[in-house]
Amino acid sequence: MNATNRAVNRIILLVTGLILLASGAAAATAMLSPVAGEVWRTSMTTTRDWMVHADQATRISEATTASWFTVALLALLLLVVVLAIVVIARLGGGRSSRVIREEACEGVQGAVTIRHGFAVDAITRALTGREEILSARVDTRRVRGADVLHVSVTPRQNTSPADVAGTVTMLVDNLATLTGRETPTLVSIRSGIRSRLAADQSRVN
Amino acid sequence: MSTSVLKRVVRRETHSPRTVLAVVVLVLAALAAMYTGIEVVLHLLGLGPLLVAPGAALAWLTMLPDEVPQAAVVAGGAVVAVIGVALVWLAVGPGRRPKHELAVSSHAVVVDNGVIALAVAERVRRELDLSKASVVIGIGHRSADVTVRPEPGQTIDKGRLREIAEAELASYDLSPRVRAHARVVRAADTGGLS
Repeated sequence: MNATNRAVNRIILLVTGLILLASGAAAATAMLSPVAGEVWRTSMTTTRDWMVHADQATRISEATTASWFTVALLALLLLVVVLAIVVIARLGGGRSSRVIREEACEGVQGAVTIRHGFAVDAITRALTGREEILSARVDTRRVRGADVLHVSVTPRQNTSPADVAGTVTMLVDNLATLTGRETPTLVSIRSGIRSRLAADQSRVN
Repeated sequence: MSTSVLKRVVRRETHSPRTVLAVVVLVLAALAAMYTGIEVVLHLLGLGPLLVAPGAALAWLTMLPDEVPQAAVVAGGAVVAVIGVALVWLAVGPGRRPKHELAVSSHAVVVDNGVIALAVAERVRRELDLSKASVVIGIGHRSADVTVRPEPGQTIDKGRLREIAEAELASYDLSPRVRAHARVVRAADTGGLS
């Protein structure tokens, strides 16, 4: 879970898919049906003539073969490359380092600030100390301007997810009582290689 | 608590972002654009093409219906079209991950289907006194298949099996709701007793 813009991902897939579908289908039908072949030939010839004409009509100067048309074409290709890089660079993100931050200036010792590390440590320690939980990871995310605590745990095999959820809920609520502030929390209970490997060391039934 | 934020978080956790595929498509598109750009520049500089000059490529495309073995072009076009359909499907489809939301806590809880399956199997095993390998459970988006292979001589009531599995699933309060389907498989060597 991160701040990736998923709509953009899907639009990219949709547009590429439609282009591939249209060109593949057009090429195949042009081969199979003589009528479609004729349409393909005339439309491609028209396009080619238009490009050659545009190229010759927009020559930058008499001396060169370069034209504004080719410049525009290169700019368009460059735009595709830049857009791809921008979209890839913007993937992920959304991590936040601040869960609870109280700036209570009344205190004798001054302002009190509780940072991410405190919540993470408190919950991770409490969880990994429990026998039915193999590993726990806590991080914080910023979603729509609100900090969200994300607790992911891998329980031992055959443990009831309801029990695990209860344990984590209790810990998070205790932390909320301690700090006096509730943080929206997502608990992910995962199955993984570790839980499969540790299955045989489970308690005696 | 801000429920709209949690709703969004749960949705993001239970649905695939399609990031890997989008990155692959973007990288391929960028490479294709760079290659085309290089060919155009080489042509402008009057140098030989890397693979094919832009003009020659256009001419080849125009004469496509008349040239080359037909079958190859049809097959190539079909492959490209199928890839296109797959991409459109992935773009429009829901992309659910094998996870369910549990409504047992005041916080949002998302569980892998594997964890649910193993917990239900454990409960069934204990209630019906079965061996570890004799219970197989598959959890789908809306249904759970509970298959039990009892030991020779052991009788298992299908209705009871279903009840136990339903009770365990109901205690998790999954959304979307999962219904249990029970199946008791008899080993062949039990002589057809049921």
